[in-house]
Amino acid sequence: MAGEEKKKMLELLDNARADKYPLPEYTSIGRRQVRRTDGYEKATGAAKYTLDVQLPGMLYGRFLTSPYPHARIISMDTSEAEAYPGVRAVLRYDDPELPDGASLGGHELNSVPPLTDIAHFQGEEVGVFVTADSEETAEQALKTIRVEWEQRPFVLDVEEALEPDAPLSNPEYNPEGNLAPSDVYLEGHGDVEKGFAEADKIIEFTFTQGLNTWVGPERPCGVWRWNGEFAEVWVKQQRPHVAKRAISTWFGGIPMNKIDIHCLYQGASFGGWSQMAWNLGGTYCAAVVAKRTGRPVKWLFNRREDFYGGEMDAGVFYLKVGAKLDGTITAVEERGVVVNQAMPVFGIAKHFLENTRVPHVHGRTEAVWVNKGPNVPTRCEQNINCYSLNHVTNRVADALGLDPLDVALKNDGAEGHDVEWMNERKAELGFPVRDSLRECIERGKAAIGWDEKYHAPGAKRLPNGRMHGLGFTWTHEWDDSAGSSEVAMYVERNDGTVSVLGCRADGGQNAETAYCQIAADELGFRVEDVRFKHQDDFGFFTMTPDTSTNLTVNGFAVRNAARILKEKILEAAVSPRGATQLTSFPPAFPDRRSDELDIKDGVIFVKADPSISMTVADFVGPSGAQGPMTSPVGEPILAGKEGLDYPMRLTPPMFEHGWQVQRGTYLGVRVRFCRQAHFMEVEVDPETGEVDITKVVTVNDVGKVINWDGCEGQAYGGAYMGVGRGRTEEVVYDKRTGIMLNGNLLNYKIPTLMDIGEVETILVESGMGYGPYGSVGIGEDVATVLPALIGPAVHNAIGRWLEGFPATPDRVLQALGKA
Amino acid sequence: MSTLEEKRIVSESIVHLLVNGESHAVAIQPQWTLRYVLQEKLGLPGSKEFCGEGACGACTVIMDGRPVLSCMMLAIECSGKTIETIEGIAKADHPLIEAYIRHSCMQCGFCTPGFVVTAKALLDRNPDPTIEEIKEAMVGNLCRCGTYPAHIKAIQEAAAILRGGGGHGR
Repeated sequence: MAGEEKKKMLELLDNARADKYPLPEYTSIGRRQVRRTDGYEKATGAAKYTLDVQLPGMLYGRFLTSPYPHARIISMDTSEAEAYPGVRAVLRYDDPELPDGASLGGHELNSVPPLTDIAHFQGEEVGVFVTADSEETAEQALKTIRVEWEQRPFVLDVEEALEPDAPLSNPEYNPEGNLAPSDVYLEGHGDVEKGFAEADKIIEFTFTQGLNTWVGPERPCGVWRWNGEFAEVWVKQQRPHVAKRAISTWFGGIPMNKIDIHCLYQGASFGGWSQMAWNLGGTYCAAVVAKRTGRPVKWLFNRREDFYGGEMDAGVFYLKVGAKLDGTITAVEERGVVVNQAMPVFGIAKHFLENTRVPHVHGRTEAVWVNKGPNVPTRCEQNINCYSLNHVTNRVADALGLDPLDVALKNDGAEGHDVEWMNERKAELGFPVRDSLRECIERGKAAIGWDEKYHAPGAKRLPNGRMHGLGFTWTHEWDDSAGSSEVAMYVERNDGTVSVLGCRADGGQNAETAYCQIAADELGFRVEDVRFKHQDDFGFFTMTPDTSTNLTVNGFAVRNAARILKEKILEAAVSPRGATQLTSFPPAFPDRRSDELDIKDGVIFVKADPSISMTVADFVGPSGAQGPMTSPVGEPILAGKEGLDYPMRLTPPMFEHGWQVQRGTYLGVRVRFCRQAHFMEVEVDPETGEVDITKVVTVNDVGKVINWDGCEGQAYGGAYMGVGRGRTEEVVYDKRTGIMLNGNLLNYKIPTLMDIGEVETILVESGMGYGPYGSVGIGEDVATVLPALIGPAVHNAIGRWLEGFPATPDRVLQALGKA
Repeated sequence: MSTLEEKRIVSESIVHLLVNGESHAVAIQPQWTLRYVLQEKLGLPGSKEFCGEGACGACTVIMDGRPVLSCMMLAIECSGKTIETIEGIAKADHPLIEAYIRHSCMQCGFCTPGFVVTAKALLDRNPDPTIEEIKEAMVGNLCRCGTYPAHIKAIQEAAAILRGGGGHGR
């Protein structure tokens, strides 16, 4: 990194002065089995999701979907549906109240109409929205609608779509061709030709990545109710602040303070659905119909409709790598042709740039549009970067007869610099100087038994006839720690418990328990006495479960608020109380300074003499008051049924707020120091091509563990999701008709309890993260890295490289030359 | 009268359901599933619809002692049957509930009630299941968040508590 660049980094991110605020002692932070705040609700079926919302008089809305991959509505007869018993409204694409374009939220390149007359993929919601007394009635009425379609030519394959005579997949958006010039993304550093010239060995390979998707357990839905002029909206969307901002632009503008957003628990979609440009399309239509009918409207997709759209890693990838005989990589050149990336196109060579010392790197992403649903970050956009780094590390090791662990260690670095350079940066920035990758590798290698079990590719047949394989992959912890977050904190009267207020969506990461831990430890309260109230909109929008930045941004906001609130409590404790219009009373702790006090377990005490103490509950006193305010001895009292001896503390409201605006990686240069390494053991049946995953070891340097159960849950949960995406999950379209063939859970196979023999989860705490207390996010990591790991594991088993993923039996047999 | 209109004329039957120890007489259309009736007519939303076609276990209830998929049962067929849902298991304060919380078996939580019900049915018939028996019993329940390893620990712990032989107790 050049001098100017480094200066910019330090100025922009101010990491040297970044206050990581380690606490002298942690009480609940880092403790195992802190009771989950959402545990009882979720275990007992009491947790409410948007799909569960039932309101008096509520109508149910369903959309017509296109039977063709590319078609336009010429005419539509809805008369029978309008007369259908139980149908209350039929909203058509040609309705004058529907705008041509409206901001519907999500990542969008162009404005997307709520209800269009053109379908660009089979299954797209088009033409008409029918609302009825029940979902079933709306469904039946849809079947009576007669549509005259103009079918257009379509294309499904990205490489075919690049051919000069290919049909246009979306002439409305891309009139010139299926690859818009703005949809090409270039990145890199150095000069790859120079790097190839320095290499002893050049390795070239290609692989394809099939389309997988999120499969949110709760299907997409939403509810709109007009309370007079106020809009009350329930969204299944992990970004309530984005939803509200978009909604405020509708119908000529709705003032923000006239919109109430509820973001209940989310049957998670891992980014996915929440990032679709159209995710508020149903909400828009529901709002129009709710106004017309005077009734609340819930719109819903069915299970199949949730399968359109997917992760943005699908495509074809061409790689050229140069390496020295000792495994030092000199250059990486990569071209990816990806499917329908519906957000600003994402780089595919980022992990070589951010995470290695490779001096010459060039990446080119071409985001081609075909007649399939839009693909968005789905746990997550880094997926293809993980594939690239994984394949390159392991291909180089294989080509040179080296151990892939050594190749990783040899090329570890950042921004083209080596580990020594990174160590200097760690020290400059005030981090501990630790070798994260080496630590992760040592821990993982012992857990999987690498030294004993690793063998030459294709060299170990087991007694059961299967081929044994061991695989390794690695990368950095890429949490962006970016975004803005606001939370408020209030000490409740009567019992001194704490409510933390912040509107966010819950994806199940258990970040909310972690916020309570941070608040509790910072305030000196018991964690059981802190609750995060997350589902309702009172402002205070927080960073949502995107980009692994729940905790690494919101944790700062909570911590900041808690620190300010604690100061306020201690200051009030030494200040005169009862500032009424008549008089005031002596402080709770007379003749003391606030810095002489502290709080532990919800009790304020004098540090020099802890016997002088008062509970926070007593200090803040009861809620409300009536009648005379002083007792015969001059103590403020609450007269009434509590009796005259009940003291009124008359403290001001113990309410504060905190906030955090944090720049992430993509807005500046941030050197990433924490690493992860994962290991997989497989057995491959050479006759059937079946891959049996017997063990997975995940090792994540999370910097600092705040909530163990949450971190481990993301790691082993991610292992299952990753294994599914690497091995069995693929959305399949019929080439002849363009129709999706497996939009259901019988034919699109997500992992079960038996899909991995054993998962071992290891967490390393190096303290080198940019989040609170030196933490990094972990939500996206394992599910995103793991799919690629199956490649080297299968290669080690059968001695051949798979050329396509997921590693379905047919692809394994193809690699073996048997299919 | 069109075919569709004919289809609209459906007769509702009164069906007696014994759910969580309470008897209900419910007017039921023949095409309604048990899951639909539990959620929409009896106010018991804990039996979740994930796949909607018998592939995921999220809607599991216990009927006459056996775990069944309520999205695959017509409510009209359940007349006179004894049904236990997650709400009943929670009300009875079954040790599985606290064990599930302690071991953080839920992430998004949508599928969790189905797991608890399936596990309860397992422990009813096998008070001391092995890990393999737990896996076999639970393999029909899908969790997209991948919480699987935690369930095994929680079920073992709840089983130990029920047998009075250990665990964290309450």
